[in-house]
Amino acid sequence: MASGKKGVEPIGEARRKWEDGTLKKGVQRLGLSESPIQYYTPADVAEHDFLENVGFPGEFPFTAGRHAIPVHVPMWGRGKNLGGGKTIRHAFGYSGYGTAEDMRDFYIERGKTPARGGGPNIAFDLPTQTGYDSDDELAEGEVGRVGVAVDSLRDFEVIYEPFVGDMELDRIASNWTINATANIIIAMYIALAEKRGIPIEKLRGTPQNDILKEFVARGTQIFPVEHSMRMVRDTITFCTEHLPGMNTISISGYHMREAGATRVQAISFTFANAIAYFESAIDAGLDIDQFVGRTTFLNFGGGMELLKEAAVRRAARRVWAKIMRDRFGSKNPKNWIYKELGGGLSGYWPMTIQRPLNNLVRVAIGAAFSSLIGEPPVCEPPYDEPLGLGHSVEARQLAADASRIIMEECKLCDVQDVFAGSYYIESLTNQYEKEMFEILGKIDDMGGALKAVENGWMKDQVIKSAWEHQMKLRKGEDVQVGVNKYTEEDEIEIRIPRTSPYKAERREDAEGRQIASLKMVKAERDDRKVQACLEKIENAARDDKANLIPFFVDAVKEYTTLGEICGVLRNVFGEVH
Amino acid sequence: MSKGQRIRVLVAKVGLDGHDKGANLVTLALRDAGMEVVYTGLRRTANHAISTAIEEDVDVIGVSILSGAHMKVADKIVALMQKEGIEDKLFVMGGVIPEEDIPKLKEKGVAGVFTQSATYEEMIDFIREGVRQHRE
Repeated sequence: MASGKKGVEPIGEARRKWEDGTLKKGVQRLGLSESPIQYYTPADVAEHDFLENVGFPGEFPFTAGRHAIPVHVPMWGRGKNLGGGKTIRHAFGYSGYGTAEDMRDFYIERGKTPARGGGPNIAFDLPTQTGYDSDDELAEGEVGRVGVAVDSLRDFEVIYEPFVGDMELDRIASNWTINATANIIIAMYIALAEKRGIPIEKLRGTPQNDILKEFVARGTQIFPVEHSMRMVRDTITFCTEHLPGMNTISISGYHMREAGATRVQAISFTFANAIAYFESAIDAGLDIDQFVGRTTFLNFGGGMELLKEAAVRRAARRVWAKIMRDRFGSKNPKNWIYKELGGGLSGYWPMTIQRPLNNLVRVAIGAAFSSLIGEPPVCEPPYDEPLGLGHSVEARQLAADASRIIMEECKLCDVQDVFAGSYYIESLTNQYEKEMFEILGKIDDMGGALKAVENGWMKDQVIKSAWEHQMKLRKGEDVQVGVNKYTEEDEIEIRIPRTSPYKAERREDAEGRQIASLKMVKAERDDRKVQACLEKIENAARDDKANLIPFFVDAVKEYTTLGEICGVLRNVFGEVH
Repeated sequence: MSKGQRIRVLVAKVGLDGHDKGANLVTLALRDAGMEVVYTGLRRTANHAISTAIEEDVDVIGVSILSGAHMKVADKIVALMQKEGIEDKLFVMGGVIPEEDIPKLKEKGVAGVFTQSATYEEMIDFIREGVRQHRE
């Protein structure tokens, strides 16, 4: 364990003495066969160089933090006035259900409550995500369930009705969890802005648009990898030129982690996918520094072993900085670290349906560790995540207060990178960096992320890891409190009132109402113009060099539906799922 | 009907939901328990699931669903099972299904519903017992 370096030799010796003496006595006194806990010393990080491995927040290699001052520290207090006339326009809490009218009314109501935020953070229903209109046979039973239904521009016009005046499109940022059909949604936003006379350069937002992780973990992909990548290329090249305020992608590790990837796999696969997206944009003629500033990462997912989650994120920052500076040759140091939502260190998968209030404890601890590594102490998910679609108002209140306690009572955000110099954490960070580069090398050897995704390797790794973890749970080697341990009859189940933010009765009849609206839209539009637009889309789709977004904009202005556009694309690109 | 010893199970993702961690793990767990499992892959229709069930001559039809569309899917599967005369097969569902919907699903003809709180052991025992009864 001790290296050749002079400084750590005495420590190595002292450690041996301790192990043979004090530690051994402790093990024997407690009747154990070995010590159940670890202890780290400088000998474990003998090669560690502070300036090279850690450095300063906001500077290469960014281990200590992405920013000199994490944005959430001065910006604490969403939507509140900061003084000096500044306010924050965050995208609102992730939500969506029912018809466009249901969402519009939801935003109007939320606007009345103290939790008001800026632009909408929209969850779309599955037909919208997978390219089907609400009246499609395959959409039956799915319309307006996991999110809001969007069939045509008309739905966007209705959803965005409350976003006027000081919440107009040039004053808010929108968030769309949309992937395969992202460019159609962006086209609708552009069309909406043009109808309102808002210059499109002022538009800000983030589409998720990370199609590769769909193949691996989320399953809403429509077109084969090659054509899916063409769509993402279209997003990056179009937005770089015409929508400088629009983020183009939110590259996600979270979903792969949730699907079972290990923490190192989730981050490595995310980086591999990012590399593929960036290479595609570079192949299209852009310089890395032209577009990378508008790419973002969602988060990397999490788990309950929070010391390891903290260390792996420090490693991720360093690995990514090296990729940007050394692999891509980016010349702008600001671009050497990713923009990310961050947080979520405890993940969603550890949340239990048994004794669900324990989930509040889980996320609060996760959020505490987030703040220690410079990420916002967001307590996500609200405790009732496993109880069904839609977090209750009470759960969101508890989550908000937990964050405030971490921030303002515990003051955990007052020191940057508290773990810097911890022998344990630095040792672990180094190990994780090594493992990440190993996986990236492996993926490079097989031809890159596109190959690894297309031939199913990446997904297979995720399923394998998921299975290995399930076996540990089954054997009791890993514990879930209230699930595989502490399940005796004397344990108490606690429930508190839950008020849904959604109106359940609206969700139940949303499908019928949406189909009726769609019928009217189709009756009132000029079908010849729609057909002409669809033909233009088909021709452009066949030309790999063409950017499809302007064609989508023209089409949605005529109230061509999302399903109709995707139908044409399916004919040209083929379909996978 | 003589089918030999091994239980044959269809694990199907019916509808548009793309989350298949559960379906993949159940497939592996049932195989690990000695059953033969056919997994349909994502985004299948009820029709596809039923024709696969018939082609593969399974004892059990298992549908994994997390999108909230479970009631509609149950209706479709049961109707098709009746139409094709394969009601002797065991129909089970799993995924994210609210507690209050489980009795309604059972009324429709779903033999068992396995949500997040179910263990692999419970599923395996239920299937073994259900198939044993059906074969008698």
